[in-house]
Amino acid sequence: MSYLDYSLATAPAGWRKVLHVHWPLVFLIGAVSSVGFLMLYSVAGGDLGTWAEPQMKRFAVGLVVMFVIGFTPIKVWKGLSVVGYVGTVLLLVAVELFGSMGMGAQRWLELGPIRLQPSELMKITLVMMLAAYYDWLDPRKVSRPLWVLIPVLLILIPAALVLKQPNLGTTLLLLAGGGAVMLVAGVSLWYFGAVIGTGVGLVSAVFESRGTSWQLIKDYQFRRIDTFLDPAADPLGAGYNIMQAKIALGSGGWSGKGFMQGTQSQLNFLPEKHTDFIFNTLAEEFGFVGGISLLALYVLIIGFCFLSAFGNRDRYGALVTYGIATAFFLLIAVNMGMVMGMLPVVGVPLPLVSNGGTAMIILLMGFGLVQSAHIHRPR
Amino acid sequence: MIRTPLRPLARILSARAKGENPDAIERENLRLRHEEMRDRSRLKAEGRLLLLGLAFVAGFGLVGLRMGVLAASAPEEPKSGQAGPAIVAQRADITDREGRILATNLVTHALYAQPKLMVDPAGAAEKLALIFPDLDAEKLTKDFTGAKKFLWIKKRISPEQMQLVHEIGDPGLLFGPREMRLYPNGALASHILGGSSFGREGVASAEVIGTAGVEKTFDGWLRDPANGGAPLQLSIDLSVQATVEEVLDGGMKLMNAKGAAAVLMDVKTGEVIAMASLPDFDPNTRPAPLTKGQAGDSPLFNRAVQGVYELGSTFKIFAVAQALDLGVVNPMTMVDTKSPMFWGKYKIRDFHNYGAQNTVTDVVVKSSNVGTAHIIGMVGAEKQQSFLKSLGFFEPTEVELVEAPTGKPLIPKKWSEISMLTISYGHGLSASPLHLAAAYASIVNGGTRVRPTILKTDKVQEGERVISEKTSETARSLLRQVVVRGTASFGEVPGYAVGGKTGTADKPKPTGGYYDDKVITTFASTFPAYDPKYVLIVTLDEPVESSGDEPRRTAGWTSVPVAAEVIRRVAPLLGLRPEVEPGLEAGVTRVSSN
Repeated sequence: MSYLDYSLATAPAGWRKVLHVHWPLVFLIGAVSSVGFLMLYSVAGGDLGTWAEPQMKRFAVGLVVMFVIGFTPIKVWKGLSVVGYVGTVLLLVAVELFGSMGMGAQRWLELGPIRLQPSELMKITLVMMLAAYYDWLDPRKVSRPLWVLIPVLLILIPAALVLKQPNLGTTLLLLAGGGAVMLVAGVSLWYFGAVIGTGVGLVSAVFESRGTSWQLIKDYQFRRIDTFLDPAADPLGAGYNIMQAKIALGSGGWSGKGFMQGTQSQLNFLPEKHTDFIFNTLAEEFGFVGGISLLALYVLIIGFCFLSAFGNRDRYGALVTYGIATAFFLLIAVNMGMVMGMLPVVGVPLPLVSNGGTAMIILLMGFGLVQSAHIHRPR
Repeated sequence: MIRTPLRPLARILSARAKGENPDAIERENLRLRHEEMRDRSRLKAEGRLLLLGLAFVAGFGLVGLRMGVLAASAPEEPKSGQAGPAIVAQRADITDREGRILATNLVTHALYAQPKLMVDPAGAAEKLALIFPDLDAEKLTKDFTGAKKFLWIKKRISPEQMQLVHEIGDPGLLFGPREMRLYPNGALASHILGGSSFGREGVASAEVIGTAGVEKTFDGWLRDPANGGAPLQLSIDLSVQATVEEVLDGGMKLMNAKGAAAVLMDVKTGEVIAMASLPDFDPNTRPAPLTKGQAGDSPLFNRAVQGVYELGSTFKIFAVAQALDLGVVNPMTMVDTKSPMFWGKYKIRDFHNYGAQNTVTDVVVKSSNVGTAHIIGMVGAEKQQSFLKSLGFFEPTEVELVEAPTGKPLIPKKWSEISMLTISYGHGLSASPLHLAAAYASIVNGGTRVRPTILKTDKVQEGERVISEKTSETARSLLRQVVVRGTASFGEVPGYAVGGKTGTADKPKPTGGYYDDKVITTFASTFPAYDPKYVLIVTLDEPVESSGDEPRRTAGWTSVPVAAEVIRRVAPLLGLRPEVEPGLEAGVTRVSSN
């Protein structure tokens, strides 16, 4: 029997689906989230109600959402991909319009108690859309220019909308995530090479032009880039977050100062200590060992996603899983890189750990899709 | 790519011959082709996955490595030393002769706006108008919402104002550090200090440059980092300056004058201890120069240095001193004082008729124009010129003020005989009060030329000799007698022997000729009279003393009492002991004569 014409009959149905859930993944997600609860409890100064409890509630809701999505056949999600993508893009446009109408930019929609940022949802629906596209497309055509142009546009449209918000971090994540799906789908490496080459060329041309007669951008723009790239030059301004973060990491040492003993985070030196910079608290209180352990958990989550996708003969399910895993990886890499001063601060939370409703729900929705693809994979 | 047909004719024919369904062949071939396709794409996908996986491993590895490096590093505290470019425009302080601050710097902030960054321009404008009542909310709103990307709102704000603006909380309102020049004594010594303003200006700092007075004269020096922040020490004594200004201001009002100037100078060193010009201004908020009216009436105008006036009878001492020095007269020589005196078509008259003849001493004491004219007639025009030149009346004073060169004396183009006569009693030659102070110092200090300076030197000037020691002594005695029994009788100060000469000169009309009801009165004094340490010039512009039945305008009634009050107050400040005459001690009877 071919993977092209498998039927749902061979996939588990009804309560038997529970047995086919990727349980190790569920436990790992739970473990990482628990680290988050612990840290939120710590940075709140030993208070449950400030951040930890709401985060737990959101996690519980997210878990239910994950299972509901997971138990729904992947074919249903595949059918909804286009609708979901178009809907999210429309939401982005709507938020852009209403955002500019009212005073102060509103970037989210109120859905009962949950605020939904379309830009966050976009990360999922873009992956779904691209997966559906490449599932539909004849694999022999993936590298033809016209068929490459379509997914590029599919990525660029939401990326441009998000960039206009402005939300540079999410824009970069969309670009990188979409690019990763295209890579896995088998688009010729020449395209990637060309894009990377052009980008590098453009950036180096701009820097080469500095101080010459054909300077491409203004002096003050260069200075902005300087601060962006080297925040240590301005430790009380833009570089404050990072310097404090480095102190936290450095003072944590190998084994840390102990739970609730971190001065940097407890004494409020750290900005955004419960959101983007929560990793500092972990590193300060549990040291290198704690940090590397969390990293290991993340590696396992992504590893399991990859294994699941690798064994999945359903192209859509596999691509969605790769896409979600890549998005997840990018969040981790950018956040940690930013916290540790390897990347500029762009405002990306640490997935499953940072305080924040939308990010948590969206991530669990994504893992719901991974579960669905795993449960309903052709056998 | 070589393709096998889905329905190879040979196989179909043979299948038909065997009675099998040829469609099965097509299905089988299709399946094989799909499997082949799938295998190929899987192979490709595996390669891609490996690539992605490697990227992930590299990413995680890098993060882990970095974590290890950071964990192993010692925590590094950030240094705030590089927060911004250091303000380089450090300007040296200016102090008085005792080291008291006359001008210093204050770090303050300028307020500017970047409307593009503003959240609520209208609200911010309204709140700014509340903090700074001189700002207009509507105009600000227009500025904030217009096309401007940058605008200054206030060049200098206080820390309280800065905090209030900070509390508005608008990200488009920004502060730039400013080093501000501060004159803590306000209007005191304003003409000497001059003032300063911002030169080249940036967001992070601004250049402070001198605009007048010593601030401008020594601008380069004050800004030179090579001086290591050493202050510029002036010869001014702050407390004496304050007293002089206070008394002069009161005297000016009492005498209904529209302006006044005073110079107090050390006769040996030439140091200007106090110098005032009224009306004055506050160098902290230096007013704009007048655009209409006479420049000489502007508060910015330094009457003591820039103002050149006919200084009247104060000049008589020069004619007499020269005649004494040349030996053509002695104090007891009788001189013709019959008024009026005719010289060709000109007529010279005295204020009163002093009789047919008087001694040289009485010519000075009574201030006879006719007598002085006769005395200078014995000296001659050429000698008079060279003498006045040696006293400095032909050139602007060399005092270290940027305004000094504009105080150029007005001398007759042709020094005719009538010029000689009128100049002998102070008409026809205009000079500044500072000129007069320097000349008097040269006459009374023993007879050597003194040049005025505004810097503390504490050094006796070894100037060229203008008159002999003995003539100087005689001149001092004459000046003392003017106060004791002459026109300056109001100049007596208990405990201090004051000598001096009055001068009342009609003001010239701009159209030519002289007013008969507008005068410049001057009292050139020196104290202690027999061993002078200081000269004091007090000049009042258009004074009218109105306590009597008739308005009195002579120097004896106007400038002299003001100068006497100045001396009474500043002499102790200058460290001069009052000379108490023994016989005046109340209730004490002298019984022994040794």
